[in-house]
This record gives sequence, C-alpha cells and structure tokens, in this order.
Amino acid sequence: MDGNYVALSVAMVVWIGVFIFLMRLDGRVKKLERNQ
Amino acid sequence: MWWKALLFIIMTAAIVAAFVTEAPQQQIGEASRIFYFHIPQAWISVLAFAMSMIYSIGYLRKRDILTDGRAADTAAIGLLVCILAAATGSIFAKVTWGSFWNWDPRESSIFLLLLIYGAYFALRGAVQDENRRATLSAVYSIFAFLTVPFLVFVLPRMVPSLHPSDSVVDENMKFVMGAEVWRILLTSLVGFSVLYLWMFNISGRIRKLSRARFEEI
Repeated sequence: MDGNYVALSVAMVVWIGVFIFLMRLDGRVKKLERNQ
Repeated sequence: MWWKALLFIIMTAAIVAAFVTEAPQQQIGEASRIFYFHIPQAWISVLAFAMSMIYSIGYLRKRDILTDGRAADTAAIGLLVCILAAATGSIFAKVTWGSFWNWDPRESSIFLLLLIYGAYFALRGAVQDENRRATLSAVYSIFAFLTVPFLVFVLPRMVPSLHPSDSVVDENMKFVMGAEVWRILLTSLVGFSVLYLWMFNISGRIRKLSRARFEEI
C-alpha cells in the first residue's frame, strides 16, 4: 500500500460535510413542499 | 433514498481508492492523485454549462421563467465546479511546475471560461425586468457555451502546454490508463455526475417553492 492517509482524511471530512449539508437541505425542501 | 446511499458509497469508494492505491503517474508522484477529482470536476463544469445552454434554448422557445431559472441554476453549479477544477489544477501546478499560476494555455483558457460565466451572472444581476433579463441571459448563455469546446478542448491543444495532455488518451485517441486507474476515475466520474444531478434537483425545487411564494404575494 502506497497511500496518502492525511489527504484521504481531509477529503473524507469534506465529502461527509457536503453530503450531510445536502441531505439536510433536501430534507428541509421536502418539508416545505409538504407544507405548501 | 436508495440512490443517495449508493452515491455515498460510490463517492466514498472513489475517495478511498484515490488515496490508498498507487499514484496514477509514478513520475509525478503523489500530486497525480488529484487527477481523480480534477477530471470529473472539469467534466461536470462542461456538462453543467451545456445544460444551461439547453435550458436557455428551452426558455427562448417556451418563455417560461422557471426554465430561465433552471439555466441560471445549472450555470451556477458549473461555475462553482469550474472554480474547483481551477483550484485543483493550481495545486497540481504548484507541486509539478513550482507555482500556483503560470498562465499556461490551460490555465488561461479556464480563466477565460470563469470570466465568461462570471459575466453571465453580472448580466443577470444588472437587468431588473424579469423577462428582459431572461431573454438577454438566455442568448448570452447560448453564445457562452459555444466558446466552451474551443476553450476546453481546442485552444489548449493548439499551443505548447505544460499540462499533461496524454493522461487519458494519447495522440491516437487510445486509452493510456491502467485498468485500476480507469476504474477509479470512472467511479469518481459517476459519483460527481450524480452529485451534480442531486444539486440541480434541489436548486430546481427551491426555485419552484420561491416562485410559488412570490406569486402568492
């Protein structure tokens, strides 16, 4: 294995952050669509 | 919901594989791993700008203001991803060429592209009347996209460049990547494409909601 684990950790933190942000935004939009 | 879980798995797999496998180009070393993110970002920006042109044509045909909004949404995502592609390219340039920005033909062409789509949003911000704004920006978006193939695919190949040009295909258009590199790149491309579609879907729903609210008032 010839890995770069620091860069991997940073990339994973960014990706999980983006994913959680989009999931929450999607959920909020869904809620607003139901209330409309 | 299942596709969101699948997207999470695909992107996570692409990220992990990009950093734990051997670097795709041994001569360049660790910095070449950025290739797995830089190429999908460049691809998504071209796709998003193409979608903006398609929605702009749709607006000019149907004169539906929501269609104009969709053209702006996808152009915004394209611009954001284009900035990311420029940033990842710039990091690669620092490691391999010694400075973040060298005005290499690739860097100049992406800079022009950022200016062109930055001007699209400046135009949208400058026109008050909704229909006039939609018409002007639809026409602009169509002409803006005509420059994309030239700036992304033609111009950087017309003049000598430091940018690796044979990392995907060689001069005879034959794939030069190993099977593992190809698999990781393909996984990343699929992940970024689904992520783009998800962002585009959310922005469209927000636009519909705000339009409905605006019409209520």
